[in-house]
Amino acid sequence: MSETLTNEITLTRKDFVSDQTVRWCPGCGDYSILAQVQRVMPELGVEKEKIVFISGIGCSSRFPYYMDTYGIHSIHGRAPTLATGLAIANPDLNIWVVTGDGDGLSIGGNHLIHALRRNVNMKIILFNNRIYGLTKGQASPTSRVGKVTKSTPMGTIESPVNPISLALAAEATFVARSIDSNPQHLAEVLSKAAAHKGTAFVEVYQNCVIFNPDEWNALSDRTNRDEVTLNLEHGMPLIFGKDKDKGIRMRGFTPEVVSLADVSLDEILVHDATSKPLASILGSMENPEYPAPMGVIRDVRKPTYAAGIMEQIAQAKAKRGVGDLNKLYRNDDLWTVSAREENQSEMAGELPLTLDEEYLDELGRAAVETTPVQDQLTEENVSALNPKVPITVDAGSSLSRAIRQMNRHNIGCLIVTDEEDRLSGIFTERDVLMRVTGLVDDLAHAAIGDYMTPNPIALKADPPIAQALHLMSLHGFRHLPLVDEENRPTGVISFRDVVEYLNRSLA
Amino acid sequence: MSLESELRSERVSHLRLSGFTAVPAGTSVRDALGRMRSERNTVCLITKERSLTGIFTERDVLRKVVDVADVLDGPIDAVMTADPISVGPDASAASALGLMDKHHIRNLPVVDASGQVVGSMTHMAVIEWLAAHYPVEVLNRPYDPERFPRKAEGG
Repeated sequence: MSETLTNEITLTRKDFVSDQTVRWCPGCGDYSILAQVQRVMPELGVEKEKIVFISGIGCSSRFPYYMDTYGIHSIHGRAPTLATGLAIANPDLNIWVVTGDGDGLSIGGNHLIHALRRNVNMKIILFNNRIYGLTKGQASPTSRVGKVTKSTPMGTIESPVNPISLALAAEATFVARSIDSNPQHLAEVLSKAAAHKGTAFVEVYQNCVIFNPDEWNALSDRTNRDEVTLNLEHGMPLIFGKDKDKGIRMRGFTPEVVSLADVSLDEILVHDATSKPLASILGSMENPEYPAPMGVIRDVRKPTYAAGIMEQIAQAKAKRGVGDLNKLYRNDDLWTVSAREENQSEMAGELPLTLDEEYLDELGRAAVETTPVQDQLTEENVSALNPKVPITVDAGSSLSRAIRQMNRHNIGCLIVTDEEDRLSGIFTERDVLMRVTGLVDDLAHAAIGDYMTPNPIALKADPPIAQALHLMSLHGFRHLPLVDEENRPTGVISFRDVVEYLNRSLA
Repeated sequence: MSLESELRSERVSHLRLSGFTAVPAGTSVRDALGRMRSERNTVCLITKERSLTGIFTERDVLRKVVDVADVLDGPIDAVMTADPISVGPDASAASALGLMDKHHIRNLPVVDASGQVVGSMTHMAVIEWLAAHYPVEVLNRPYDPERFPRKAEGG
């Protein structure tokens, strides 16, 4: 038993977090997307060494630095192009392109179109915040008509690009949409994109907290989002609303929103991700006129680009034999480039310690009123939750002893430590259910170290309550250990502590 | 607005409820555990003629099953909590949370008017609701809060 458990190679979100400091603005929606990608990656069952993230230029394009995988921060708008080359050179790789509404639709618009129509085996995530963020707030190809920005002081007069319609026009085989503020939905869509063979295009509505903070207010608001978004599921009727009381039906060639109280369920459109006309209709439905379709809009199978090329190469080889690349290179037109003395690099230098003025101006302007709950989440630290003293055992302890201890203290979570009292694992009642009960015959002779979750994520240095909430909501953790500088456990908090604290202290 | 007042306008059915495993009364504890494991649920609801008669959770596994002899092959009825407290899907999320607090329970089955169980409410539903309600504060955070940029890159 213990052998099969320890032999399993399981990666976690932690394995995909790089050592780089994330340099997005505090509160940027990119953080949420990064966290979801890092969470979904381990579920793919692909070794890290076979995963590559490629980006162009823009805020979203800093993404590859933050993933502990291979990564290329490439040329503006050209990420799909590099990715195409890589997908052909090594079809075994799992390739992700990260782009934005500027990089992907303006500067690299054509590269995107051609990657999509070729059905190269790659996943493209397009962060759509409808603004140029990195260059500090100019109109982007997806900015709405009338949008006042630094480059359009009287409001833009250009019609925006609809990324979904564009992808469908380019014959993309997988087209989906999600939003940064709905992490469960985003994770589901990313998983489905990852499973697709060919180009998967995912538009993610993303909040630029500094230069376009109100763009997605209506769609993000947790109390209202189910009223304004339409969650698509293949084979299921297009029903939406907080109380699932509205649906979409066709009137001639136009979809319309109807109340389920007034029409029969037979009239409601049923989602079919293989239908191209339906995909076009869904792609054209824009909020606020319609609820924004979220989820997989189109998912069809077609041969991939690399497969087609490999087939042609095989045919050519069969007909003309294996070629000689060296001979081809050295054919003619050769010259020698001699080395030149290198200049000293002027790149190095300390980063300025202060925020620049333009950024501070924007921050100052965006002074939005916050609710007491918001204030508590960011201003109160986890120590305010009165963390419980951790009950610790060493990794060699038997399961029977551990279980006795949990029952004696009436707790659902034990902290496992190593010889130097440092955190080495966590063992919870969930593990008792999932891995022990009825599966382990002799509890007295099984060591807890073989059944615990090793190297769990822990909270260090008393972070804000929001950080605990972040980890709990993202991973479904119900307990979080607190550790000191030496990684020695100092406390443990549960999801119940957090909710009850917020509920009580504000009552 | 306090958390309580924010949750007052949300119904239980508006939250993301947890999944559950459903077994008929008389099922053996061993079979129920097997189902919970394969369905990856930590809550098992026991029904008799489609109405809810008991609840069996991971805490019960820890307290009453794992190191207790001769329980595994007995009926789940012996280790479940009979007649559990439940709420309707239209109850306010705040009142459901109050109920959990008052009775010290961590799983609250949600049963609709026809007696059908639609899910189980846990504190995780509130955590997820809060996260989506305050994405800027909760979701949009770096993995390591100690590594924060000294200067924003671009916007």
